[in-house]
Amino acid sequence: MEAEAAKFIGAGIATIGMVGSALAVGNIFGQFLAGALRNPAAAASQVGNLFVGAALAEALGILAFVLGILIWLG
Amino acid sequence: MADPIHQFQITPLPGLDFGEVTLPVIGTVHLAFTNSHLAMTLAFVLVIAFLQVSTSRAQVVPGRLQAAGETMFGMIDNLAQSIIGHDGRKYFPFVFTLFMLVLMMNLLGMFLTFTATSQLAVTATFGVLTFALVVIIGIAKNGLGFFGLFWPTSAPLLLRPVVGLIEFFSFLLRPVTLALRLFGNMLGGHVALKIFAGFIVSLMGVALAGGVGLFALPVAALSLGMVIALTALEFLVAFLQAFVFAVLACIYLNDVVNLGHGH
Amino acid sequence: MAATPSAPPPVLPVEQAVEYAAETGHVPANAAAAAAEHDAGGLPQFEFQHWAGQAVYLLILFAILYVLVAKVFAPRLRRVIDERAETVSSAVATARSVQTEAAAQAEAAKADLEKARADARATAAAAKARVTAEIQARQAEEEAAVAARVGEAEKAIAATRDGAMVHAAAIASDTTRAIVERLTGKAPTAAEADAAVKGAA
Repeated sequence: MEAEAAKFIGAGIATIGMVGSALAVGNIFGQFLAGALRNPAAAASQVGNLFVGAALAEALGILAFVLGILIWLG
Repeated sequence: MADPIHQFQITPLPGLDFGEVTLPVIGTVHLAFTNSHLAMTLAFVLVIAFLQVSTSRAQVVPGRLQAAGETMFGMIDNLAQSIIGHDGRKYFPFVFTLFMLVLMMNLLGMFLTFTATSQLAVTATFGVLTFALVVIIGIAKNGLGFFGLFWPTSAPLLLRPVVGLIEFFSFLLRPVTLALRLFGNMLGGHVALKIFAGFIVSLMGVALAGGVGLFALPVAALSLGMVIALTALEFLVAFLQAFVFAVLACIYLNDVVNLGHGH
Repeated sequence: MAATPSAPPPVLPVEQAVEYAAETGHVPANAAAAAAEHDAGGLPQFEFQHWAGQAVYLLILFAILYVLVAKVFAPRLRRVIDERAETVSSAVATARSVQTEAAAQAEAAKADLEKARADARATAAAAKARVTAEIQARQAEEEAAVAARVGEAEKAIAATRDGAMVHAAAIASDTTRAIVERLTGKAPTAAEADAAVKGAA
């Protein structure tokens, strides 16, 4: 059972990687908001870039999550 | 029932299981019309029905459904033209097809018990398809100049091989991240939904035993609130991931379509 | 777990899992069924024998939808959208020309109005001048008449006064003669009295 326990612990540790992606996505949206309040006229044209950036940052968190699931069930 | 992973199980529909064959290279292949195929077919039919209804009696002053169809159309059209530029119209059908299929599969997953886009096989197909198209267009349009994509002329000469190598690997990783992003979002969202829904059921079971178990009631209510909030979030994610997939497909296409004369 | 090494643990609340184990002595039936298919890993998504079927099927659906979008739906929508853009732009152009026309008309109307106003102003000024001249003429006439009457009256007054003065001198000399007569007892002649009065005056 020790190996089993280690597996769960490992899965939990793997998902800590999502913290970075959470910080990144929060940072992206926060910076966007700060910029948008400063220059609201230019904000609408940058929404596409916003989501692409958020998606790129999020992908790495998702990677950690998938790894966690794989360790848990694999 | 309480297994949050069980929803991803692929099961052949009754009467449509054709057994397994072993092919060279690919390995064992289970030939069957499964629930995944059913979900894909439903999404496919719904997309066609939606487009047919919204465009069949297209008028200058749009009706409600036509307005919805045109909103989707206009969104992807703007996307393609603003990212790829003048050539955007040529690649619009591909991006639009991609977007509509992914969006409809994501949305269907919110109503059915099975989500096609939570299957890595499906998202990997989308990712590899996009990647293959990018490579084919790149080579067809630029010939060997396609490899200029990995030769960053803006970097110092000494660093170029290193940067180029990094560029090359990140290019190879594109289908992987494309597939994993969609897959992971759908997987994570639906697992979380199922886990919280499972909490409600098991906590209500505890509460029904009475006594101290009644303390489980507020927690069950909390779980219910969480399920509702997550459902709303999942609808947003369903749309957002389809949109992001389309945006990234446009960006990757732009890389090779406008290679060498960045705009 | 040792019995089914590759199967996922059935995620059940602890109480139920314990119950399960106590009642059946093995893992739940659905998990066991799933375990049979779990060859490549824990997640059902990694059962690679299902991959080829899904991928090929999806590619077929994608190809059909792509052709439909490229040949039917996109041209239809694009035609409608272009048509609408054309309609809107032509309507805008029409509206713009109508607007310039209306602006020109308004300009003309304004000029007309301006002219009419100037005319009216001129007429009014002319009328006013004429009336003023008339009034002045009449005033002058009346002033002249009044002045003439005043002159006449003055003349009459002067004549009356002169007459009165003449009478006054005669009265004075008469009075003088009477006073001198009373004082001296001898009446001066009229000529002497007149001379004295004139000298006194």
